[in-house]
Amino acid sequence: MPACAHPAVPPLAAGLQRFRIRICVSKRAIAREVVIDKALFTKTVALEYRALALGLLSICLMFADNRFDYLGPIRYALAYTALPVYWVADLPARTSSVVDDVLISKTELVEENARLRDELLLAQRELQVMESLTSENSRLLALDEAAKTLDGEVIAAEVINQSPNPASKRVLINRGAAQGVFVGQALLAAEGLMGQVVEVMPTTSWVLLLSDPLHVTPVEVNRNGERALARGVRGASDEVELEFFTQTQDIEEGDLLISSGMGQVFPKNYPVADVIAIARDPGQDFATVRARLRVAVNSTRNVMLINPAAETVAQPAASDLEASVDTAANSQALTEQVQQ
Amino acid sequence: MKSRAYTYWVVVLSLFFAYLFAIVPLPEWSLNWRPEWVLLFVFYWTMALPYRIGLGFAWLAGLLLDVLEGGMLGLNALTLMLVAYIALSLHQRLRMYTPIQQSGVVLIVSLLALLLAHWLQVVTGQIVATDSAYLFAALSSAAIWPVLFSLLRSLRRGFINS
Repeated sequence: MPACAHPAVPPLAAGLQRFRIRICVSKRAIAREVVIDKALFTKTVALEYRALALGLLSICLMFADNRFDYLGPIRYALAYTALPVYWVADLPARTSSVVDDVLISKTELVEENARLRDELLLAQRELQVMESLTSENSRLLALDEAAKTLDGEVIAAEVINQSPNPASKRVLINRGAAQGVFVGQALLAAEGLMGQVVEVMPTTSWVLLLSDPLHVTPVEVNRNGERALARGVRGASDEVELEFFTQTQDIEEGDLLISSGMGQVFPKNYPVADVIAIARDPGQDFATVRARLRVAVNSTRNVMLINPAAETVAQPAASDLEASVDTAANSQALTEQVQQ
Repeated sequence: MKSRAYTYWVVVLSLFFAYLFAIVPLPEWSLNWRPEWVLLFVFYWTMALPYRIGLGFAWLAGLLLDVLEGGMLGLNALTLMLVAYIALSLHQRLRMYTPIQQSGVVLIVSLLALLLAHWLQVVTGQIVATDSAYLFAALSSAAIWPVLFSLLRSLRRGFINS
């Protein structure tokens, strides 16, 4: 205790010295408390300033991410850190499919094999018909590109996750920039169109589903070629609603909606949805038409990305050709269009 | 008391599980009921280790959650940083509460975080405004808090303050 040390301590003043030491000790204790209080006090002030600084930083980040593309490289790099989490989160689904493969019995395998062979035979027969139809159709349209709508190249992919945000209908697929995926690429499942790529990361991509309320798909009615825009329905996972569809336009329950190729994103003529409900209220400007997507968006795992190099996304010359097309053309849609 | 780096490792590994629970695919009906796992973990660690786990840590945790969810960068960073701010300013009081009382605080904090996140997403056009069903996540978060609290406390006692 240098502050309390007395140079010469007379024997008579020993008690006084002890008293002094006690005062010294208590002073030190008070001093320590004051120091602690000061530390706490400065800490709280710093906490508020730090919260303010981080808050401003977050707002700048959100602004930059929402309005500009500055953060593209950062997102791309950060995506690597997310990979292990996706990998582990996908384990249960992968394990169950492996377990299914291992634990399947021989009779089941034989049955499945027979069933698949039957299906293949049917599909091949349809393909043969399709081939002749395609050549006929392309002769009628005098467009070589039209033939390519049926044999486009695809990249096989798997859905490995879905957006945890209940308000946003998106899925994550296991193909990314490394496999040549790009923003705007169309995603297809066995039953029909599913969505389009909105964000590409190194080996994964986010796909916006057709049923998201922010997604609008250009479609046409397969029966008569009526064009419409199908927007995702808020709160329903697999439904779309036709926008600006007038009361008098021809549509029936059970009609198939196919992609019209307008907007140059989706290839033409892929099935999209089946009409399930029509409400025509004379007081309203437009009819309310609901349709259910062909693809089971919540349970589909195996999907395809369409490679547009071999696809005709839209046929801008089709309308010019309509006048010259023979009415006896066996493509139902074309005949209908000509008659209008 | 273990070293700072060791503490961070334990906290980060526990957060890995929070991220896993946060993104593991669930059936559609349960999506609105998924607890805010990362929020709960950040709330616990800032309350339990306020001089080691601070605002910056919570902010980074939120940024990684943004990347994982494929959402707008900075959204969860902001909400989790604010959650950590509340937990840090109240940590001395929170430690005196019983887990059930803490659940009440968790309910209010996660309600605020959900509302702020939803509002920001709607304002920036990330989503279309939905009904209030998404707020059920706050209820499930508060319901699971006592269990999570005792689990994380035994983790902390076993690995950090042993």
